[in-house]
Amino acid sequence: MNTTPAKVLIIEDEKQIRRFVRVAVEEEGCLVSEAETMSQGLIEAGSRKPDLLILDLGLPDGNGIDLIRDLRSWSDVPVLILSARSQENDKIDALDAGADDYLTKPFSVGELRARVRALLRRRSRSGEAASPVIEFGNVLVDMSRRLVTRDGEPVHLTPIEYRLLSALLAHPGKVLTQRNLLREIWGPSFIESSHYLRVYVGHLRQKLEDDPTQPTHLLTETGVGYRFQP
Amino acid sequence: MENNASLLDESPERITPKQGWVLTILACVGTTIIATPLLGYLDLANIVMLFLLTVLLVAVKLGRNAAILASILSVLLFDIFFVPPRFSLAVSNIQYLVTFAVMLVTALITAHLAAGLRQRARESQSREKRTQALYQFARELAGTLTTEQVVEISRSFIKMQLNAQSAILMPHPENESLMVVSSSESPLLEMHLAQVALKSGQLVRSDEVGGMGYAPLYLPLRASMRIRGVLAIRFADDVAEPSAETTSLLETLASLVAVAVERLHYVDVAQASEVKMLTERLRSSILSALSHDLRTPLTAMVGLADSLFLIKPALPATALETAQALHEQADRLAGLVGNLLDMARLNAGEVTLRREWQPLEEVVGAGIKLLGSALAAHPVKVELPRDLPLLEFDAVLIERVLCNLLENAAKYSPDGTPILLAAEQETDVVRVSISDHGPGFPAKRRDDLFKMFVRGESESGKPGTGLGLAICKAIVEAHGGTITADNRPDGGACVSFTLPKGVPPVVEEELA
Repeated sequence: MNTTPAKVLIIEDEKQIRRFVRVAVEEEGCLVSEAETMSQGLIEAGSRKPDLLILDLGLPDGNGIDLIRDLRSWSDVPVLILSARSQENDKIDALDAGADDYLTKPFSVGELRARVRALLRRRSRSGEAASPVIEFGNVLVDMSRRLVTRDGEPVHLTPIEYRLLSALLAHPGKVLTQRNLLREIWGPSFIESSHYLRVYVGHLRQKLEDDPTQPTHLLTETGVGYRFQP
Repeated sequence: MENNASLLDESPERITPKQGWVLTILACVGTTIIATPLLGYLDLANIVMLFLLTVLLVAVKLGRNAAILASILSVLLFDIFFVPPRFSLAVSNIQYLVTFAVMLVTALITAHLAAGLRQRARESQSREKRTQALYQFARELAGTLTTEQVVEISRSFIKMQLNAQSAILMPHPENESLMVVSSSESPLLEMHLAQVALKSGQLVRSDEVGGMGYAPLYLPLRASMRIRGVLAIRFADDVAEPSAETTSLLETLASLVAVAVERLHYVDVAQASEVKMLTERLRSSILSALSHDLRTPLTAMVGLADSLFLIKPALPATALETAQALHEQADRLAGLVGNLLDMARLNAGEVTLRREWQPLEEVVGAGIKLLGSALAAHPVKVELPRDLPLLEFDAVLIERVLCNLLENAAKYSPDGTPILLAAEQETDVVRVSISDHGPGFPAKRRDDLFKMFVRGESESGKPGTGLGLAICKAIVEAHGGTITADNRPDGGACVSFTLPKGVPPVVEEELA
């Protein structure tokens, strides 16, 4: 664990939202800085080198998605998006551009803190040597030996199922868009064939989740993509 | 043929055939009179020349028939008055027969050639005139702004050029039945003939109806995209069979009219789509402004209420209760605003479905997870058959339907009772049903349940706007399905909706 407090930058034009986000993030023991506009946000991000960026998609001076693209050219700091519900496409674009997670307005402080914790945990973890064994629920995945067991029993996964699982496990807590996963596992020509992805996620759930209809680890972000929740 | 030639022939010298005959005879007799005193001075051969000249002039001026008459007359007159013995048809020297023969043949050939020349000259003149008139007509049509103007211009053109009455019929934009456009001076019309012309795209002609004041000719107005209507023609003298020339003129005319009508049609389409685009842009900008402007303060309210819990030292319990209530109320308000905006969007037809093939199971899981604490008091039992095919739907919207229905079920049934979400295959659809153990729907108003702002029990203490089911209905119907509300035989409400099965894409199994 890092002992220095994590630095969080909030880019949001609405003062009251900034205020409670700040309170919530400070409660997690972080140092918070704020920016009201996209241009100010980019300057702050460059000078303060935050460990997490909380970004409202609807900024007065530009599209938050452009900011993410710009940011991603020189930094891989985690980005949490704040967006309205009806903006599925914006969310997808933001995630494709490199954002890590999103919160739909309105959201509770509890949800916000949980997401912030999850994203910051990744920061602290990146320092350690990645463990080849990942555990969730009653499932153990040994990446080094390509071995998956559930309740100690080995589970047989097809090559694609295994690739999909490891893609999801590689980014715990991060929302992976359909396009992203399709491109990574099936290749660029399958980007429009989302039913492949859905069918295979279904297979994984059948094999790994206790109740495949109400999964607790391989989660669907409806209209957006998937998330692995450890 | 003759009849219509006169219709088209605008030449100023109008000589009837009878006058032509008289003039021909006069010309030949005149030539005889002029030539007689010259007999002593001129050879007979030169007198033949005078007659040939006359035939030529007659041919040029009076046409072929007159020229043939002139040829024969000339030979006769020459024989009688000039060839010895004079004043008799008899011929003294047999070689004059050769003269007569040559004279007659020369005269006839001259007549033929000259008359042909004349005919062609007149034809090209009238063609020129007609081309001029068509140019003029096309120019006028190009300047028209309404279909009525087009009709008026073509009506007066046809009246002037062809001395005929006309009417233009166009299909009604909705029911496709033919209607006369601005019917001043229109002839009687045989609608079924017009229909035939419209359907077949061919000129339709009827000989029977011509005499009774009906228009006998129906030309389709064929434009590049489709047949735009029918032009009906009735000639002043009730000819049913126009000349080829007239027909081709009419066809040219019909295509000019068709192009003009089509142009006006696309002007209308362009204007309408511009208006529609502006309206839509306005509506969507209002909707998105509303959704942004309403959500921002709601987000702040929810978050600020929550942040009261973080104040140190902690606030008294009652204050925290108030904060929790504030949070819940703001959340509810956000839900209502969301419902209203969704309904507005769905009603405006603004929602484009992002349909993708997917298992139902996935969206069911996501929906239940999304509702979270709202379902805390009700175990949800999901019964999906393993062999359920992939369905094509918009995941976000169907998730909304499931959430609304599950939320309703939870709201209206006693705590602790289970909610059942089941699906079954029917012939062409998959039926998804959600049933609870609540009081069920009141029998009377079941049909109204899916209307906006209608609630099962108006005075019920449960919060709600009566939009939830209306939104479900709009979404399900946009997917081509139906939604029904029922009560289960053993009590409790059951809402079920269908999604069409379609033909799901094949997902190849891996070889593993």
